[in-house]
Amino acid sequence: MSVDYDAIVVGAGPAGSAAAIALARSGRSVALIERGPFPGSKNMYGGVVYGRILDGIVPNWWEEAPIQRWVTRRATMMMTDTQALTVDFRTAAWGAPPYNGATAYRPDFDQWLATHATAAGAELICSTTVTGVLRDGNRVVGVRTDRPDGELTARTVIACDGVNSFVAKEAGLYGEVEAHHYTVGVKETIRLGRDVIDQRFGLRGLDGADFEIVGCTNGIPGGGFLYTNLDTVAVGVVLELPSLAKQDRRPEQILAGLKSHPAIAPFLEGGEIGEYSAHVIPEGGLAMMPELVGDGLLVAGDAAAMCLAAGIWLEGVNFAIASGHAAGLATADALRRGDTSAAGLSGYRRRLETTFVLADHRKLAGAPELMMSPRMQRAYPQVACNTAERLFTVENPRPKTGLNAIVRSELKAAGVKVADLGRDALRGLRSFG
Amino acid sequence: MTAAEGSAASRSGARGSGASGSGLRIAACAKWVDLRPGVDALTGRVSTDERRFGFSAADAAALEVALRLGSEWGAEVDVVVAAPAPAEGAIRSLAAAGASRAIRVDLPSGASSKQVAASLAAATADADVVVCGDYSLDVGSGSVPASIAHRRGAAQALGLISVTPESPGVVRAVRRLDGGRREHLRVRTPAVLSVEGSVATLRRAPLRSLRAGHAPAVEVIDPVGLAVASVRLDRTEPVRPRARALPGPNGSAAFDRVVELTGALVARTPPRRVDAADDADAAADAIIEQLAAWGYLDPS
Amino acid sequence: MSEYQEIGFEQRMALVDFRVSERAHITVDGDACRGCTTQGCVVACPANLFVPTSDGGILFNYEQCFECGTCYLVCNTEGAITWTYPEGGHGVVFALS
Repeated sequence: MSVDYDAIVVGAGPAGSAAAIALARSGRSVALIERGPFPGSKNMYGGVVYGRILDGIVPNWWEEAPIQRWVTRRATMMMTDTQALTVDFRTAAWGAPPYNGATAYRPDFDQWLATHATAAGAELICSTTVTGVLRDGNRVVGVRTDRPDGELTARTVIACDGVNSFVAKEAGLYGEVEAHHYTVGVKETIRLGRDVIDQRFGLRGLDGADFEIVGCTNGIPGGGFLYTNLDTVAVGVVLELPSLAKQDRRPEQILAGLKSHPAIAPFLEGGEIGEYSAHVIPEGGLAMMPELVGDGLLVAGDAAAMCLAAGIWLEGVNFAIASGHAAGLATADALRRGDTSAAGLSGYRRRLETTFVLADHRKLAGAPELMMSPRMQRAYPQVACNTAERLFTVENPRPKTGLNAIVRSELKAAGVKVADLGRDALRGLRSFG
Repeated sequence: MTAAEGSAASRSGARGSGASGSGLRIAACAKWVDLRPGVDALTGRVSTDERRFGFSAADAAALEVALRLGSEWGAEVDVVVAAPAPAEGAIRSLAAAGASRAIRVDLPSGASSKQVAASLAAATADADVVVCGDYSLDVGSGSVPASIAHRRGAAQALGLISVTPESPGVVRAVRRLDGGRREHLRVRTPAVLSVEGSVATLRRAPLRSLRAGHAPAVEVIDPVGLAVASVRLDRTEPVRPRARALPGPNGSAAFDRVVELTGALVARTPPRRVDAADDADAAADAIIEQLAAWGYLDPS
Repeated sequence: MSEYQEIGFEQRMALVDFRVSERAHITVDGDACRGCTTQGCVVACPANLFVPTSDGGILFNYEQCFECGTCYLVCNTEGAITWTYPEGGHGVVFALS
């Protein structure tokens, strides 16, 4: 059988570029097809790239990657309309090689990663939308694009075409798509100036801050985030789709609410919006994952719902790179053996099972549901904030109330039974422990 | 669709693309520009970002017009682009739409119109028809097509809103005039045409010609050196309001004019004097009263 | 502290680079929308592309689409919104995302 390429990778985001890197480096011919005018032009996220996975792909990546700041301050904020309780952690260790998390603009970062794919020999074709797959019976044998004369054949197709993955859906790898597994993230990038950001967030050099926020979404399950780039900050909210559609405040209005919160507004004052952006996030974890392998087809990154949105952990780019790279390696193995059927490609799943990609998803399988529950979203932030407020309000000459009494009365006021709290704590322990 | 375009469609339908080679050569010119430059509202400083660079709708339309002329006349089309080295990928993608050669004149973005025109004129010296966008998005003087025509001694038809091939080497064109009028032109080669972006939408390049090894390689040529330096940017200054023109003083003698200019001998209200050391409140009241009388303060 | 001034929605969208294709990549079946009581797309679309009409239908734009997919995911009327990716090289181009 004569084919155009050993493999076609659909989408030049982090997953696609990592897959193309693995294949090109093992000497295979790869086409990396991107629908935007350049890699990263369609991509948007909630702020932090965890680069440890890159160590094995681009050694000393931190010396060349287009990074804005290194996250050395990580805060989790629980919020009510007027209060905020923050757990604020800083470490100097994350501000030096090999680093931990970094903020970056995706149009920069994704383009950078794609240059490693082309340097390894992959062929990047931009401004070209894949409109469908070519099949021979059940087997995927190529893709159809929106260009004239636009069909390409390959022994394997790797779908890294993002959360909406039309390729995976057309190939029948997805079951029924359920909207409650998806959230939409909306974000503003606000120009403030480097010095102002350093002062307001207490940062120096390339140190950066990342705040995750619970309780700022007007009762819609989801959360908020605030993080620093070099001379801009990004602030956004993440909203569960069916709940968003059921109420009457628009996403940018909910975001405006977060921006005007007394704990957030001082960070942003005087800033000028540079860009507004939005993207859908697959938050359902394991519950929404498609079949990862078909005959001649693999799925990686957001297209395979490999995004970890489990409250205190919000990760996606690292899962995309890891799954894309695993897909590329597994495909290279399968090509070597001359079997790119679903069975021949099943090494992909084995690779994911042995790494954090599926291990984390299994461990945190219950976390999305717990994090999106009304108690987690509304009641617990309220209990925590009110408890802190009463604990630290000095009411002389009345003597101080004991912590136990405060918590009990606040739980009661918020309508949370002690049994519920116990159950949630147990689920939390099981999920996160 | 205008009547002219309608007849063009039927003509090309009748003759098809099987036109035999006419020996004509067509060149489409373009410039690599920032499609969405940022402008600082206060200083007027322009910021550019290489990722936003590309070819304007007018330049893309120029290539499409060239390709249509080429297929009608059986002529080859060259793409000639004024751009620095980072544009090569974009030039390959542009040329993949159907050009037989891709040529890059190695000019930095922001080169003067004169330099661009001289270099493009030299690079397109063997073309019978040169098609350009009407004006660039960055400099925007619109002078380059006219300047190319002048340097090559070619006919020029600029700012066209419709281009229709006639017999090989002759095009009919329509140009927009003021007041909604139109000028219908018949242009013979050698000619330079410049077109508006709305004339045509560039066809999508076939996938095969975008693939490595299928697209024409980009030939690089040096720009033409100009004997006399063209306009050079010396410095930029912030915006200043224009000086206000005042009428000159009357009076036949110089002394009279000086007196009028200075207002020296004109009767005037003598200054009021309030000693603040005696009564600060009265002084403040007097200042406020005076400012109100002059109209600087709202009397209420 | 001074009030944080929100910019208007059109200004907000004008900050984003959209390379508009001639072909609409969203189509909406007006008849299906007239029977829809929730019309979740109207409130949920981050780009505010869906506008209810007085006769109960939906008017839509496609030019300033973030290509996020929210609209078809929240749509509870099977087949009312047909949504694909726009032509290659067109649509939204982020810079600071």
